Amino acid sequence: MSVETVASLGASRPRAAGAAPAGASKFGLAAAVAWRNLWRNRRRTWLAVGGVAFATALVQFSMSMQVGGYAAQIEAATDFFVGHVQIQRSDYVEQARFEQTINGVTSLVRSLEVRPDIRSVAPRVEAFALASVDERSFGVQVLGMDAARERRTVGFLKRINAGRMATGPDEVVLGSALARNLGAGLGDEVVVLGAGKEGGVAALAASVSGILNSGIAELDRSLMLAPINAVQGAFGLGDEAHTLVVRSADPLAGAELVGALNTELPQGAKARNWDAVLPDLRQGIELDRLGSVFLYGIIIVVVTFSVVNTFIMTVFERTREFGLLRAIGMRPGAIIGMVQLEAFCIWLLGVGVALALMVPIIVWLSSYGLYLGEEISQIETNMFLPDRIHPRLSWAVSLTAPAIMLGGVQLAALAPALRIRRLQPVAALRAQE
Amino acid sequence: MSSASQAVARCVNVSRIYEEDAVPVTALTNVDFELAQGEFVGLAGPSGSGKSTLLNLIGGLDRASQGEIAVDGVALQTLNETQLADLRLHKIGFVFQSYNLVPVLSAQENVEFILQLQGVHPTARRERALDALASLGIGTLAHRRPGELSSGQQQRVAIARSIVTNPVLLLADEPSANLDSATTEELLKLLRRLNDERGLSILTATHDPLVMGYAKRRVQLRDGAIVEDAAVSGA
Repeated sequence: MSVETVASLGASRPRAAGAAPAGASKFGLAAAVAWRNLWRNRRRTWLAVGGVAFATALVQFSMSMQVGGYAAQIEAATDFFVGHVQIQRSDYVEQARFEQTINGVTSLVRSLEVRPDIRSVAPRVEAFALASVDERSFGVQVLGMDAARERRTVGFLKRINAGRMATGPDEVVLGSALARNLGAGLGDEVVVLGAGKEGGVAALAASVSGILNSGIAELDRSLMLAPINAVQGAFGLGDEAHTLVVRSADPLAGAELVGALNTELPQGAKARNWDAVLPDLRQGIELDRLGSVFLYGIIIVVVTFSVVNTFIMTVFERTREFGLLRAIGMRPGAIIGMVQLEAFCIWLLGVGVALALMVPIIVWLSSYGLYLGEEISQIETNMFLPDRIHPRLSWAVSLTAPAIMLGGVQLAALAPALRIRRLQPVAALRAQE
Repeated sequence: MSSASQAVARCVNVSRIYEEDAVPVTALTNVDFELAQGEFVGLAGPSGSGKSTLLNLIGGLDRASQGEIAVDGVALQTLNETQLADLRLHKIGFVFQSYNLVPVLSAQENVEFILQLQGVHPTARRERALDALASLGIGTLAHRRPGELSSGQQQRVAIARSIVTNPVLLLADEPSANLDSATTEELLKLLRRLNDERGLSILTATHDPLVMGYAKRRVQLRDGAIVEDAAVSGA
């Protein structure tokens, strides 16, 4: 028997007369088959769509709450005392020695304040000393502050709940616990003794103009606030400061601002974002984020299994149809592609439903916020938690859940669809519809 | 029988043995068969005689346990699954007992679908599908889905799908099994017309004596072997 093989079979199909460019018309009817097949069993399709929509909406909403919550937490923490960015001498970050100051602070602050990405800058001098009232003495951290700039940068001075901020060189504000320990009240005189920059004695005698109740015990029992000029003078500093606290125009663009500042700052000075200044807060957020990823993963896996079930039934019920398609020459890969297209349609519907439901809700809540209750409100200060969370809609929030669901749904369809590859046309054509 | 050079399908010493519950079942034994260009051959025989098996082997839907099969000069045993799929797509038309139309596609789309697999341009495939349906007298039903068509109309759509690609061979497995005799008669006239006018080679497996009446050559199978092979005089 004389036979020949046709090399063109398989690797590349011979093009029929009037053939379209490769891929140009491959999907038209396959897409129609995929889409219309969804509606052969509407209840099952809507169940699968509902599952995808539920998982997507749940993850979207949770993520928007998380992002909003983190933003509020960060804002609360930075707005309280730390600011968005801090500038210090790099060795001060490591060693925190008194003499490690930034020089030429006045001009540096002014040059920073004109930047469009910075809203305000507050210089601080930080010294340790012994404060005495009559017979009582306690170690204190003296913070020299520019009150006007401080108010523009953070909300710390709002915590002065008795009296007012010190305005002259002979006035100080005491932390509430420190005042109590010293037995000092408004108008009482406090004597401060410390070591100056050049090793001399730093002395300051001032009356108490205000009492600060920050809500943080550690600060309230050690802080003493005074005008920056007074502290600079008393401790032998010139136009110097230890820290410049920066409020940026966009709190979420802190990293970019830090990058830009670190190329422009005087040698030895270093800008750090809030997450470097408050590593505990950053780690807490990271930990929370990791926990959520685990939770989202479980939700998505559960939904994916329900979609697997849908496609197991689809492939089982349409064995004969797939056998026919194999018989007339459709390649297994193309049939699997068609099933994947059905999965894509389910995903598209599910995500569409989820977006249609969740986006208006998130947008509305982002304006009005979600009240967390009285108890949370009470621990707001210590935990940097706001009493009301404003969910945030972002590209990440909108697209992360749909993207993961797309992968999940495609995998869910692929597992049963791979059976098509092993399908024998003759056996499949004998299957019952 | 025609000469070897004109053979559309050729089987040499073909056997097919299935395993059923680990027990070997012989469906075909050492079959030699040749179908020439333009022939209309009816395969007859009782159930289990091997008619459908032979059809499936020639159609590349199944593989022989032994022997050689060639369609249009292509040795099927040398082809992998993808190449077999391509051979079916380009060279063979199938008509099945239960029509096997895609239920969610209209008659026209069912016919177009196979042209899409061939990569034919949408405009051209639409024209060709409508022409095929019109040539079988169901052009006006082009937009109906299979569920909206009678058995005879569905079988016509299946035939339109099988011929629209201009195959070298049409394989029909019990094409009249679900049709009444009047519709069967119409269908057979149609097949005969395709054979006479287009020179389409047709191999049909059937129980139906009516079908055998339209064939130009009758092949009788029994217990997996050809027991009779004769041209029909005056056909």
